Amino acid sequence: MNQTIPNQETKKVDTKKIKSLLNRRKGKMKRFLSYCAHCSLCAESCFLYMKYKKDPKYMPSYKVINSLGKLYKKRGNVDWKFLNEIKGIVWKNCVLCGRCYCPIGIHVPSMIAFARTIVRSQEVYPQLDEASPESWL
Amino acid sequence: MIVAERKPLDEIKEMVKSYKKLLTVGCGGCTSICYTGGQREVGLLNEDLKNSLEKEGMATQPDSFTIERQCNADFYPELDEIARNYDALLSMACGAGVQFLADRYPEKPVFPALNTIFVGIDKDVGWFEENCRTCRECFIGETGGICPVTRCAKSLFNGPCGGTSREGKCEVSKDTPCAWYEIFKRLKDQGRLENILKVKPAREWKNQTRGTMIHEAYQKRYAK
Repeated sequence: MNQTIPNQETKKVDTKKIKSLLNRRKGKMKRFLSYCAHCSLCAESCFLYMKYKKDPKYMPSYKVINSLGKLYKKRGNVDWKFLNEIKGIVWKNCVLCGRCYCPIGIHVPSMIAFARTIVRSQEVYPQLDEASPESWL
Repeated sequence: MIVAERKPLDEIKEMVKSYKKLLTVGCGGCTSICYTGGQREVGLLNEDLKNSLEKEGMATQPDSFTIERQCNADFYPELDEIARNYDALLSMACGAGVQFLADRYPEKPVFPALNTIFVGIDKDVGWFEENCRTCRECFIGETGGICPVTRCAKSLFNGPCGGTSREGKCEVSKDTPCAWYEIFKRLKDQGRLENILKVKPAREWKNQTRGTMIHEAYQKRYAK
Protein backbone atom coordinates (compact mmCIF):
# COMPACT_ATOMS: atom_id res chain seq x y z
CA MET A 1 0.00 0.00 0.00
CA ASN A 2 1.11 3.53 -0.63
CA GLN A 3 2.58 5.53 2.19
CA THR A 4 0.89 8.90 2.52
CA ILE A 5 2.82 10.25 5.49
CA PRO A 6 4.90 13.05 4.02
CA ASN A 7 8.64 12.97 4.00
CA GLN A 8 9.12 14.79 7.25
CA GLU A 9 12.68 15.79 6.46
CA THR A 10 11.72 17.71 3.36
CA LYS A 11 8.13 18.81 3.91
CA LYS A 12 7.42 21.66 6.28
CA VAL A 13 4.66 21.60 8.84
CA ASP A 14 1.85 23.78 7.51
CA THR A 15 1.52 25.92 10.62
CA LYS A 16 -0.80 28.31 8.80
CA LYS A 17 -3.31 25.53 8.35
CA ILE A 18 -2.93 24.45 11.98
CA LYS A 19 -3.47 28.03 13.16
CA SER A 20 -6.55 28.40 11.03
CA LEU A 21 -7.99 25.15 12.42
CA LEU A 22 -7.19 26.21 15.98
CA ASN A 23 -8.87 29.57 15.44
CA ARG A 24 -11.97 27.98 13.98
CA ARG A 25 -12.95 26.41 17.32
CA LYS A 26 -10.93 28.65 19.59
CA GLY A 27 -13.80 29.93 21.72
CA LYS A 28 -15.23 26.61 22.77
CA MET A 29 -11.94 24.73 23.07
CA LYS A 30 -10.12 27.40 25.06
CA ARG A 31 -13.13 27.69 27.32
CA PHE A 32 -13.04 23.94 27.94
CA LEU A 33 -9.30 24.10 28.63
CA SER A 34 -9.68 26.95 31.10
CA TYR A 35 -12.60 25.28 32.90
CA CYS A 36 -10.53 22.23 33.85
CA ALA A 37 -10.12 22.42 37.63
CA HIS A 38 -7.59 19.56 37.71
CA CYS A 39 -9.91 17.70 40.05
CA SER A 40 -8.92 14.37 38.42
CA LEU A 41 -12.47 13.07 38.72
CA CYS A 42 -12.33 12.17 35.03
CA ALA A 43 -9.47 9.75 35.67
CA GLU A 44 -11.37 6.71 36.87
CA SER A 45 -13.93 6.96 34.09
CA CYS A 46 -11.15 6.08 31.62
CA PHE A 47 -10.79 2.33 31.21
CA LEU A 48 -7.23 2.73 29.92
CA TYR A 49 -6.27 4.63 33.09
CA MET A 50 -7.67 1.80 35.17
CA LYS A 51 -6.10 -0.88 32.99
CA TYR A 52 -2.64 0.69 33.15
CA LYS A 53 -2.61 0.76 36.95
CA LYS A 54 -3.73 4.37 37.23
CA ASP A 55 -0.82 5.70 35.20
CA PRO A 56 -1.46 9.49 35.16
CA LYS A 57 -0.62 9.79 31.47
CA TYR A 58 -3.91 8.02 30.72
CA MET A 59 -5.99 10.56 32.63
CA PRO A 60 -8.39 12.26 30.19
CA SER A 61 -7.38 15.70 31.48
CA TYR A 62 -3.68 14.90 31.01
CA LYS A 63 -4.31 13.77 27.45
CA VAL A 64 -6.23 16.92 26.54
CA ILE A 65 -3.84 19.35 28.20
CA ASN A 66 -0.81 17.71 26.58
CA SER A 67 -2.28 17.59 23.10
CA LEU A 68 -4.81 20.29 22.33
CA GLY A 69 -3.73 22.41 25.30
CA LYS A 70 -0.15 22.52 24.07
CA LEU A 71 -1.25 23.24 20.51
CA TYR A 72 -3.06 26.33 21.74
CA LYS A 73 -0.22 27.27 24.06
CA LYS A 74 2.25 27.12 21.18
CA ARG A 75 -0.29 28.91 18.94
CA GLY A 76 0.17 26.25 16.31
CA ASN A 77 3.90 26.82 15.94
CA VAL A 78 4.87 23.17 16.13
CA ASP A 79 7.24 20.76 14.41
CA TRP A 80 7.01 17.15 13.23
CA LYS A 81 8.45 15.83 16.48
CA PHE A 82 5.71 17.53 18.44
CA LEU A 83 2.98 16.30 16.08
CA ASN A 84 4.25 12.75 16.45
CA GLU A 85 4.22 13.09 20.23
CA ILE A 86 0.61 14.20 20.07
CA LYS A 87 -0.17 11.34 17.72
CA GLY A 88 0.84 8.93 20.47
CA ILE A 89 -1.33 10.69 23.04
CA VAL A 90 -4.49 11.05 20.95
CA TRP A 91 -4.42 7.66 19.24
CA LYS A 92 -2.43 5.29 21.41
CA ASN A 93 -3.49 6.56 24.82
CA CYS A 94 -7.11 7.26 23.87
CA VAL A 95 -9.50 5.11 21.84
CA LEU A 96 -12.21 7.80 21.80
CA CYS A 97 -14.75 5.51 23.44
CA GLY A 98 -16.47 8.66 24.71
CA ARG A 99 -17.00 7.34 28.22
CA CYS A 100 -14.90 9.92 30.09
CA TYR A 101 -16.89 11.92 32.60
CA CYS A 102 -16.26 15.49 33.68
CA PRO A 103 -18.35 16.90 36.56
CA ILE A 104 -17.97 20.42 35.14
CA GLY A 105 -19.23 19.31 31.75
CA ILE A 106 -16.08 19.55 29.66
CA HIS A 107 -16.53 17.35 26.62
CA VAL A 108 -13.20 15.57 26.49
CA PRO A 109 -13.90 13.36 23.43
CA SER A 110 -14.61 16.37 21.21
CA MET A 111 -11.29 17.90 22.29
CA ILE A 112 -9.33 14.74 21.55
CA ALA A 113 -11.16 14.42 18.23
CA PHE A 114 -10.25 18.01 17.41
CA ALA A 115 -6.59 17.37 18.28
CA ARG A 116 -6.73 14.38 15.92
CA THR A 117 -8.17 16.57 13.17
CA ILE A 118 -5.30 19.01 13.55
CA VAL A 119 -2.70 16.23 13.45
CA ARG A 120 -4.50 14.63 10.49
CA SER A 121 -4.35 17.94 8.63
CA GLN A 122 -0.59 17.37 8.38
CA GLU A 123 -1.09 13.79 7.15
CA VAL A 124 0.06 12.41 10.49
CA TYR A 125 -2.06 9.49 11.69
CA PRO A 126 -1.48 5.86 12.68
CA GLN A 127 -0.43 3.47 9.94
CA LEU A 128 -1.91 0.37 11.46
CA ASP A 129 -0.49 -2.11 8.98
CA GLU A 130 3.08 -0.92 9.04
CA ALA A 131 5.70 -1.99 11.52
CA SER A 132 7.69 0.98 12.71
CA PRO A 133 9.58 1.89 15.87
CA GLU A 134 6.60 3.95 16.95
CA SER A 135 4.04 1.26 16.10
CA TRP A 136 1.95 0.35 19.11
CA LEU A 137 0.19 -2.65 17.65
CA MET B 1 -15.68 -4.58 14.35
CA ILE B 2 -17.42 -3.85 11.07
CA VAL B 3 -15.53 -4.86 7.95
CA ALA B 4 -16.08 -3.24 4.58
CA GLU B 5 -14.54 -3.22 1.12
CA ARG B 6 -14.27 -0.52 -1.50
CA LYS B 7 -16.78 -0.57 -4.33
CA PRO B 8 -15.46 -0.89 -7.88
CA LEU B 9 -14.20 2.48 -9.13
CA ASP B 10 -16.63 2.50 -12.07
CA GLU B 11 -19.58 2.15 -9.71
CA ILE B 12 -18.34 5.04 -7.56
CA LYS B 13 -17.68 7.18 -10.63
CA GLU B 14 -21.15 6.56 -11.94
CA MET B 15 -22.66 7.83 -8.69
CA VAL B 16 -20.62 11.00 -8.35
CA LYS B 17 -19.69 12.15 -11.82
CA SER B 18 -22.51 14.65 -12.17
CA TYR B 19 -21.37 16.64 -9.11
CA LYS B 20 -18.67 19.22 -9.51
CA LYS B 21 -17.64 19.71 -5.89
CA LEU B 22 -17.36 16.38 -4.14
CA LEU B 23 -16.18 15.72 -0.59
CA THR B 24 -14.94 12.23 0.21
CA VAL B 25 -15.49 11.69 3.92
CA GLY B 26 -13.28 9.15 5.68
CA CYS B 27 -14.06 7.41 8.94
CA GLY B 28 -11.48 6.91 11.69
CA GLY B 29 -13.40 3.95 13.14
CA CYS B 30 -13.85 0.39 11.90
CA THR B 31 -13.31 1.06 8.21
CA SER B 32 -10.04 2.76 9.03
CA ILE B 33 -8.91 -0.30 10.96
CA CYS B 34 -9.80 -2.65 8.10
CA TYR B 35 -7.85 -0.39 5.70
CA THR B 36 -10.78 0.59 3.50
CA GLY B 37 -12.12 3.92 4.72
CA GLY B 38 -9.44 5.76 6.72
CA GLN B 39 -7.57 8.91 5.81
CA ARG B 40 -5.05 7.04 3.66
CA GLU B 41 -7.75 5.20 1.73
CA VAL B 42 -9.64 8.46 1.18
CA GLY B 43 -6.48 9.86 -0.42
CA LEU B 44 -6.04 6.81 -2.61
CA LEU B 45 -9.66 6.83 -3.77
CA ASN B 46 -9.53 10.53 -4.57
CA GLU B 47 -6.36 10.00 -6.63
CA ASP B 48 -8.07 7.21 -8.58
CA LEU B 49 -11.21 9.27 -9.05
CA LYS B 50 -9.32 12.37 -10.15
CA ASN B 51 -7.21 10.50 -12.70
CA SER B 52 -10.12 8.56 -14.09
CA LEU B 53 -12.58 11.45 -14.26
CA GLU B 54 -10.02 13.75 -15.84
CA LYS B 55 -9.44 11.22 -18.60
CA GLU B 56 -13.16 11.19 -19.31
CA GLY B 57 -13.32 14.98 -19.32
CA MET B 58 -15.50 15.23 -16.21
CA ALA B 59 -15.28 18.30 -14.03
CA THR B 60 -15.68 16.57 -10.65
CA GLN B 61 -13.18 17.82 -8.08
CA PRO B 62 -12.93 15.48 -5.09
CA ASP B 63 -11.60 16.83 -1.80
CA SER B 64 -11.18 14.88 1.39
CA PHE B 65 -11.86 15.08 5.10
CA THR B 66 -11.76 12.36 7.74
CA ILE B 67 -13.74 12.43 10.96
CA GLU B 68 -13.11 10.13 13.87
CA ARG B 69 -16.38 8.23 13.61
CA GLN B 70 -19.24 8.72 11.20
CA CYS B 71 -21.68 6.90 13.49
CA ASN B 72 -21.47 9.39 16.35
CA ALA B 73 -22.79 12.97 16.30
CA ASP B 74 -20.08 14.14 18.71
CA PHE B 75 -17.53 14.03 15.91
CA TYR B 76 -19.47 15.99 13.32
CA PRO B 77 -19.05 19.68 14.23
CA GLU B 78 -15.83 20.08 12.24
CA LEU B 79 -17.39 18.45 9.20
CA ASP B 80 -20.50 20.65 9.45
CA GLU B 81 -18.49 23.73 8.51
CA ILE B 82 -16.79 22.02 5.59
CA ALA B 83 -19.66 19.98 4.14
CA ARG B 84 -21.77 23.01 3.30
CA ASN B 85 -19.29 23.98 0.56
CA TYR B 86 -19.83 20.79 -1.44
CA ASP B 87 -22.44 19.56 -3.89
CA ALA B 88 -22.30 15.93 -2.75
CA LEU B 89 -20.65 13.71 -0.16
CA LEU B 90 -19.00 10.36 -0.74
CA SER B 91 -18.78 8.37 2.48
CA MET B 92 -16.10 5.83 3.26
CA ALA B 93 -17.85 4.52 6.37
CA CYS B 94 -19.95 1.41 6.87
CA GLY B 95 -23.64 1.47 5.96
CA ALA B 96 -24.53 2.81 9.41
CA GLY B 97 -22.12 5.72 8.99
CA VAL B 98 -23.37 6.56 5.50
CA GLN B 99 -26.95 6.73 6.75
CA PHE B 100 -25.96 8.87 9.71
CA LEU B 101 -24.14 11.22 7.36
CA ALA B 102 -27.17 11.39 5.06
CA ASP B 103 -29.45 12.15 8.04
CA ARG B 104 -27.08 14.88 9.20
CA TYR B 105 -27.11 16.63 5.81
CA PRO B 106 -30.52 15.82 4.35
CA GLU B 107 -30.14 18.51 1.68
CA LYS B 108 -26.99 16.88 0.24
CA PRO B 109 -26.76 13.77 -1.90
CA VAL B 110 -24.69 11.22 0.02
CA PHE B 111 -23.14 8.17 -1.67
CA PRO B 112 -21.47 5.07 -0.27
CA ALA B 113 -17.96 4.30 -1.50
CA LEU B 114 -17.83 1.00 0.38
CA ASN B 115 -19.81 -2.19 0.67
CA THR B 116 -20.24 -3.26 4.28
CA ILE B 117 -19.43 -6.93 4.44
CA PHE B 118 -19.63 -8.30 7.96
CA VAL B 119 -18.99 -8.11 11.69
CA GLY B 120 -15.67 -9.79 12.17
CA ILE B 121 -12.33 -10.17 13.84
CA ASP B 122 -8.76 -9.23 12.93
CA LYS B 123 -7.18 -12.59 12.29
CA ASP B 124 -3.88 -11.04 11.23
CA VAL B 125 -2.72 -7.83 9.56
CA GLY B 126 -5.11 -7.29 6.66
CA TRP B 127 -6.96 -10.57 7.34
CA PHE B 128 -10.50 -10.32 8.65
CA GLU B 129 -13.04 -13.04 9.26
CA GLU B 130 -16.74 -13.00 9.87
CA ASN B 131 -17.69 -14.42 13.25
CA CYS B 132 -21.11 -13.01 14.05
CA ARG B 133 -24.37 -12.46 12.17
CA THR B 134 -25.84 -10.37 15.01
CA CYS B 135 -28.83 -12.73 15.26
CA ARG B 136 -29.59 -11.36 18.77
CA GLU B 137 -30.00 -14.81 20.30
CA CYS B 138 -26.47 -15.87 21.11
CA PHE B 139 -26.16 -19.50 22.13
CA ILE B 140 -22.49 -20.15 21.50
CA GLY B 141 -22.04 -21.01 25.17
CA GLU B 142 -23.53 -24.37 24.25
CA THR B 143 -21.51 -24.81 21.07
CA GLY B 144 -18.02 -24.37 22.46
CA GLY B 145 -17.77 -20.72 21.46
CA ILE B 146 -18.24 -21.50 17.76
CA CYS B 147 -21.21 -19.92 16.00
CA PRO B 148 -22.91 -22.29 13.55
CA VAL B 149 -25.17 -19.49 12.31
CA THR B 150 -22.10 -17.73 10.94
CA ARG B 151 -19.71 -20.54 10.24
CA CYS B 152 -22.02 -23.24 8.87
CA ALA B 153 -22.90 -22.69 5.20
CA LYS B 154 -26.51 -23.59 6.01
CA SER B 155 -26.60 -21.87 9.42
CA LEU B 156 -27.77 -25.13 10.97
CA PHE B 157 -28.65 -25.02 14.66
CA ASN B 158 -28.93 -28.66 15.55
CA GLY B 159 -26.00 -30.61 14.24
CA PRO B 160 -24.39 -30.99 10.83
CA CYS B 161 -26.02 -31.84 7.55
CA GLY B 162 -24.89 -34.95 5.73
CA GLY B 163 -22.25 -33.11 3.77
CA THR B 164 -19.31 -33.16 6.17
CA SER B 165 -16.26 -34.85 4.67
CA ARG B 166 -14.09 -37.33 6.54
CA GLU B 167 -11.56 -34.54 6.97
CA GLY B 168 -14.14 -32.37 8.68
CA LYS B 169 -14.68 -30.02 5.76
CA CYS B 170 -17.88 -28.51 4.40
CA GLU B 171 -19.43 -29.88 1.23
CA VAL B 172 -19.59 -26.34 -0.12
CA SER B 173 -15.80 -26.07 -0.25
CA LYS B 174 -12.92 -28.30 0.71
CA ASP B 175 -11.21 -25.27 2.25
CA THR B 176 -14.08 -24.48 4.59
CA PRO B 177 -14.11 -26.29 7.92
CA CYS B 178 -17.46 -27.79 8.91
CA ALA B 179 -18.67 -25.66 11.82
CA TRP B 180 -20.36 -28.62 13.48
CA TYR B 181 -17.24 -30.74 13.18
CA GLU B 182 -15.32 -27.92 14.88
CA ILE B 183 -18.00 -27.71 17.58
CA PHE B 184 -17.82 -31.47 18.12
CA LYS B 185 -14.04 -31.36 18.51
CA ARG B 186 -14.14 -28.38 20.89
CA LEU B 187 -16.86 -29.83 23.11
CA LYS B 188 -15.16 -33.23 23.16
CA ASP B 189 -11.87 -31.64 24.25
CA GLN B 190 -13.71 -29.76 26.98
CA GLY B 191 -15.60 -32.87 28.15
CA ARG B 192 -18.95 -31.22 27.35
CA LEU B 193 -20.06 -33.37 24.47
CA GLU B 194 -23.52 -33.85 25.97
CA ASN B 195 -24.24 -30.23 24.91
CA ILE B 196 -24.36 -31.29 21.30
CA LEU B 197 -27.39 -33.45 21.99
CA LYS B 198 -29.47 -30.58 23.34
CA VAL B 199 -32.09 -29.67 20.77
CA LYS B 200 -32.30 -25.94 20.32
CA PRO B 201 -35.69 -24.43 19.55
CA ALA B 202 -36.22 -22.57 16.30
CA ARG B 203 -34.72 -19.07 16.31
CA GLU B 204 -36.80 -15.97 15.93
CA TRP B 205 -34.39 -14.29 13.48
CA LYS B 206 -34.86 -11.03 15.31
CA ASN B 207 -32.29 -9.33 13.13
CA GLN B 208 -34.82 -9.21 10.32
CA THR B 209 -36.29 -6.12 11.96
CA ARG B 210 -34.50 -2.88 12.73
CA GLY B 211 -32.88 -2.89 16.14
CA THR B 212 -32.90 -0.22 18.83
CA MET B 213 -31.28 -0.68 22.19
CA ILE B 214 -31.48 1.70 25.11
CA HIS B 215 -29.29 0.71 28.00
CA GLU B 216 -31.22 -0.04 31.17
CA ALA B 217 -29.55 2.81 33.04
CA TYR B 218 -30.71 5.31 30.40
CA GLN B 219 -34.30 4.19 29.94
CA LYS B 220 -35.68 6.93 32.17
CA ARG B 221 -33.82 9.59 30.22
CA TYR B 222 -35.31 8.54 26.89
CA ALA B 223 -38.78 7.58 28.13
CA LYS B 224 -41.52 9.11 25.98
